[in-house]
Amino acid sequence: MLLNFDRLGWWKYVLLAITLLTAAFLLLPIVFIAALSFGSSQWLIFPPPGWTFQWYHELFADPRWLESALTSFKIAVIVTILSVLLGLVTSFGLVRGSFMFRDALKALFLTPMILPVVVLAVALYAFFLRIGLGGTLTGFVISHLVLALPFSILSISSALEGFDKSIEDAAVLCGASPLEAKIRVTLPAISHGLFSAAVFSFLTSWDEVVVAIFMSSPTLQTLPVKVWATLRQDLTPVVAAASTLLILLTIILMALVAVVRKVLKQ
Amino acid sequence: MSTCSDASGAIMPLPKVRRATGFGWALPALAFVGIFFVVPVAILLLRSVLEPVPGLGNYAQLIGSATYLKIFANTFIVSGLVTVISLLIGFPVAWALAIMPGRLTSVIFAILLLSMWTNLLARTYAWMVLLQRTGLINKMLIGMGLIDQPLALVNNLTGVTIGMTYIMLPFIILPLYGVIKKIDPSTLQAAALCGANRWQCLTRVLLPLAMPGMAAGALMVFVMSLGYFVTPSLLGGTANMMLAELIAQFVQSLVNWGMGGAAALVLLVVTLSLYAVQLRFFGNQNPGGR
Repeated sequence: MLLNFDRLGWWKYVLLAITLLTAAFLLLPIVFIAALSFGSSQWLIFPPPGWTFQWYHELFADPRWLESALTSFKIAVIVTILSVLLGLVTSFGLVRGSFMFRDALKALFLTPMILPVVVLAVALYAFFLRIGLGGTLTGFVISHLVLALPFSILSISSALEGFDKSIEDAAVLCGASPLEAKIRVTLPAISHGLFSAAVFSFLTSWDEVVVAIFMSSPTLQTLPVKVWATLRQDLTPVVAAASTLLILLTIILMALVAVVRKVLKQ
Repeated sequence: MSTCSDASGAIMPLPKVRRATGFGWALPALAFVGIFFVVPVAILLLRSVLEPVPGLGNYAQLIGSATYLKIFANTFIVSGLVTVISLLIGFPVAWALAIMPGRLTSVIFAILLLSMWTNLLARTYAWMVLLQRTGLINKMLIGMGLIDQPLALVNNLTGVTIGMTYIMLPFIILPLYGVIKKIDPSTLQAAALCGANRWQCLTRVLLPLAMPGMAAGALMVFVMSLGYFVTPSLLGGTANMMLAELIAQFVQSLVNWGMGGAAALVLLVVTLSLYAVQLRFFGNQNPGGR
């Protein structure tokens, strides 16, 4: 009876109230920021005295915001491509292969997910200072790739595990070369895994802030670093505008994932 | 393809040949992770025992100082608080999600995922504004007549706890949901048939059955909180610094790599050993987060 919603009696309303309040709590900051970014109050008073696009104008008028957004985008795209390619190759090895320490190797590849990011950030910062990659685009790409690769390997491996290899073998028996069979049979079959790998990798890189704080230089910084640096000075509504754009991108990507999943299921 | 047919067409197993295959495919990633993950972390940890002089001096300094001990204590207090509150809120929500009608459930799931994937800085910024003295929360509390002076909700323990709980909630609700969803409703029917009232059903059947999920989720939230950097540094005050910020400060402002490495090793050892406990007792869960 405790697992039947209709037979919970008045407990039902308690549970419902807690759930709705929690949902409101989770939604509050997101909606609030979006509303604030159009508010005319410099002092972030809510409800604002009026509505304006002023903060978006300021955001787009300042070349440093635009530049950091472009930097973020460039890095995220490169990271996504590398992460999917490397993840794909690695997953073939991990799922199809049989060698000693295969499970240990997989665990090693996933470790960056559980390691406190600050440890990785500090370690890479020191390492890159020494080999001259600090504050470079390559440095950013490498450090974001370390964080994105585990997500990629996880998504692609699980897709590959769910794929029946005998179909690929059948294609080879019918005259395809092993590589051709992989490209024309296996890849389309695991495309949903590749797609999640790409989205996760992109968002990991796009949203990454801790490692980026240590990687950035005065001339090269990502959007989250720019937000971080601005926040340390004041809570200007321009950050609300930048945040709203970040949130919007997330919603678009999430919707895209939902749509693609639906299409692939059919 | 480990079978083969003989002349009569019967299928017989091939003798098993233990041969390493596929390792080559994993080699590029191994090289990458080795060079840009294992080596840098190893160097950092090595520096903790080599700089400025070889020995355990950095660790002695870390344990011997009241300031650093306070930061360790604060890190555990904040993580513990966040874990307990997340669990108290998360359990009823996960329970409701597991049994509620579908339409509402999918809306709430969408909200959970959206908040999980919304940029961390954007969410933290929102709380900085919401919680400030003239912020919406204080205004609402005053408006409702609950307080007459604005409360200090930010740059202190309260701010960090609210901001971190906000971030951790989805990470406890989602695994708990999975656990409760798997519980067979007939066990509760049986308890009710045997005369248990609702309260007894909850405390003696549902809670014990959900316990492994609660423990696993709580451990994960605790571990993730221990290493958090962004939210505590923006919502916390100087008086309640956390371990991740201490590491960053050693490296960035003090340029003391020995101490930074030592503090990193402490964080690493605590994190990895708690994960080992998690894996040993509760199996694999997907972690994530900054």
